[in-house]
Amino acid sequence: MMLEKTIFCITRVLTYFILFCACFIFWDIISKGSRKVFHKEGFINWEFFTESPQTLHVIEHDGETLELSSENYFSFKRSLSDAAWKLLITKSQFKEVKERLVNNLNDLTETPSPSSQKNLLHDYIENEKKEAKEKFNFWLDMLENPSNHASDFEVSEEEMPYLVGRFIIAFLNQAKSKYKLLDNELSYFSALHYPKIDNLTPTNIEDINLAYFNFLNENLPKLWNVFEAKNKNLRERVVEFDENPSTSSFVFLENNFKSIDEVQSLHEFNSIDLLKKISDDLRWISSSFRISVDSKDYAYSGGGIFPAIAGTLLLVGGAMLIALIIGVCCAVFLSEYGKTGKFLSLVRLSILNLAGVPSIIFGLFGMGLFVIFLDWNVSLIAGWFTLAFMILPVIITASEESLCAIPQDFRESSIALGASKWTMIKTSVLPYALPGILTSSILGVARVAGETAPIMFTAAFAMRSELPWEGLEKWTDFFFQGVMALPYHIYVISKIPQNEYTIDMQYGTAFVFLMLVFMLASLSFVLRARLRRKFNW
Amino acid sequence: MTSFTKPTVKKKKPSKSLNAIEVNDLSFAYGKNEVLNSISLEILRNKVTSFIGPSGCGKSTLLRCFNRMNELLENARIIKGSVVVEGHDIYEKTVDPIELRKRIGMVFQNSNPFPKTIYQNVAYGLKIQGVKSKRKIDEIVENSLIQAALWDEVKDRLNANAYELSGGQQQRLCIARTLAVEPEIILMDEPCSSLDPVATARVEELIFNLKQNYTIVIVTHNMQQAGRISDLTAFFYLGKLIEFDETKKIFINPKMKQTEDYICGKFG
Repeated sequence: MMLEKTIFCITRVLTYFILFCACFIFWDIISKGSRKVFHKEGFINWEFFTESPQTLHVIEHDGETLELSSENYFSFKRSLSDAAWKLLITKSQFKEVKERLVNNLNDLTETPSPSSQKNLLHDYIENEKKEAKEKFNFWLDMLENPSNHASDFEVSEEEMPYLVGRFIIAFLNQAKSKYKLLDNELSYFSALHYPKIDNLTPTNIEDINLAYFNFLNENLPKLWNVFEAKNKNLRERVVEFDENPSTSSFVFLENNFKSIDEVQSLHEFNSIDLLKKISDDLRWISSSFRISVDSKDYAYSGGGIFPAIAGTLLLVGGAMLIALIIGVCCAVFLSEYGKTGKFLSLVRLSILNLAGVPSIIFGLFGMGLFVIFLDWNVSLIAGWFTLAFMILPVIITASEESLCAIPQDFRESSIALGASKWTMIKTSVLPYALPGILTSSILGVARVAGETAPIMFTAAFAMRSELPWEGLEKWTDFFFQGVMALPYHIYVISKIPQNEYTIDMQYGTAFVFLMLVFMLASLSFVLRARLRRKFNW
Repeated sequence: MTSFTKPTVKKKKPSKSLNAIEVNDLSFAYGKNEVLNSISLEILRNKVTSFIGPSGCGKSTLLRCFNRMNELLENARIIKGSVVVEGHDIYEKTVDPIELRKRIGMVFQNSNPFPKTIYQNVAYGLKIQGVKSKRKIDEIVENSLIQAALWDEVKDRLNANAYELSGGQQQRLCIARTLAVEPEIILMDEPCSSLDPVATARVEELIFNLKQNYTIVIVTHNMQQAGRISDLTAFFYLGKLIEFDETKKIFINPKMKQTEDYICGKFG
């Protein structure tokens, strides 16, 4: 009596323990995962689903934080640097630029950011504006009175015009690439930046260009003097330049200045230290005009999991299709055609053994056969076959069982009515076995979707910005591309340095993953129920 | 005489021979276990022949030899002898068993319609033969159901699942399914063993009517049934044909002692 009670209690407690564990796991994933999946306001965070994973940039300012995904971060930076560049254009345009900047910021911040973030951005931009303005003034003064600033760059007054000229070149190169200008447009643009011109109209472009070249002609010869005594190469060019200074275009100068680095590498200068210093200074100047935003970056924490969802669905679909085709054919052979004997027992035994092989072994097998030997590389198709082989034992065994469960009567009456063997299988066996086969495939779906090891070497990419159907040159490329997958994504996130953002990502991904598998399984259930209703006996 | 080897076997031609099936000295075995031992008999055209005997005497096996259903079993083989249907040895290599089975229909012990609609069940044989014409199929389905005395009961619900029918109706549906293929000979393997007396009576009546157009071979455990419906009766015991004669003679005046004992219920 005592024993009976004890055993009853033990079994009951253990059952409740398992129930508790299951509840805890689900509760944990759902509660933590929903933080990423849902907004605090209760709406679904579509960004998490629809975007591709990217680095999260966290900008801290005045005790508040602004979290931006890479895309938003770059557009934020772009708007900042646009603003700064525009500030550099002319004084008279400053007002307009300011207005535009504020509008841009309104656009940027109108999307659901809380008002505090808006203020933060506003402060930030004001700060940037102030700095840019200071730089602008400094730059203006440097161009107007170069000799005053020689000490700032720790060069002699004599060398200062070179510095200024070099700076103009660097600045124009930046402008050229930034605004994608042609050379003739560049001269127009350069005139724009010439400090003495405040009011530009299309009619005075010629004057402005003239003034600009005068400016260069006035200052550059002094610069050449610096090199003249030291360098033969450059001297030849200076001679050319002196012979025909008026036609020497901006491109000519640019080319010459480019060659400075080459010359420097030849160690033919005595003034090499000077040049080094100058180039460092130039770097400082150009970098100080570039906008930098201080942010902390967290890899993989800035975006969604859409490519991983798409990849998992593709992997599951393809692998199940292959596994069902091969598996059902194999099961039909085993149950309908095969004759009982040693061979069939051997086949059955090997199938059973195959079911016990660890999934990492399948991954290695897939890498060896598909990725390396067949040279499919890390690709969707290699993953399909590897996963298909992994679940084949399950599919074959279950399909064979459901085929055997079909009453022999169906087969006999079909044969007796004049059906050939294949007609009999096709019309009176397979349709009735389908519900059972589908049941087994539900297990298969969950396993295929969940396994990390087999796809690790064969199909999964840690990061891929393109979706599987994007950027295909020909349709066969679709099969030979790696994809992202949810389980591998979880694995990858757990392998990088951990912080609060990655943990959120992990739980969010796990939550979505659970839901996805649940949905796939219920789809199979519905399908099976419909088939059962249709082919019931 | 039509050949089984040709796929264009459709019309029933009147044969001069009275024998639909001739079995000559047939021995049959599953592996090493000989279940039929030197059987020779003739099945007469448009007669009902019943096979009786205790379980395991080989009567069902012999029945299945007529349409080569035994081939589906592993290790089944003919040791000697031949089965001649309409003048052709059906175990010759040139004979296509599929064509043969279209001409020799079979009804099984358990009523086993497919889990489809009544209409689809009857049309199944035509569908797998590749008959496409909807009108022709409709016609044959109706005829078969009328012949099987089921038409009046199901004509309003041809699209209902066959499993909604009663056991007796299901068995008659199976007969209708067999008739739809237009066979010449119908083999019945204990068709009434799982039916109640009323349903049995209806099937028996049906068999009696079918006799005019078809040659029927029926295996039965029910002595009264054999007496009621069959013209000729064969008694098997332990794989041997003990006695084969007109039913009346077998039941009233059996020649062999074993037959008499079996009929009187002394063993079985």
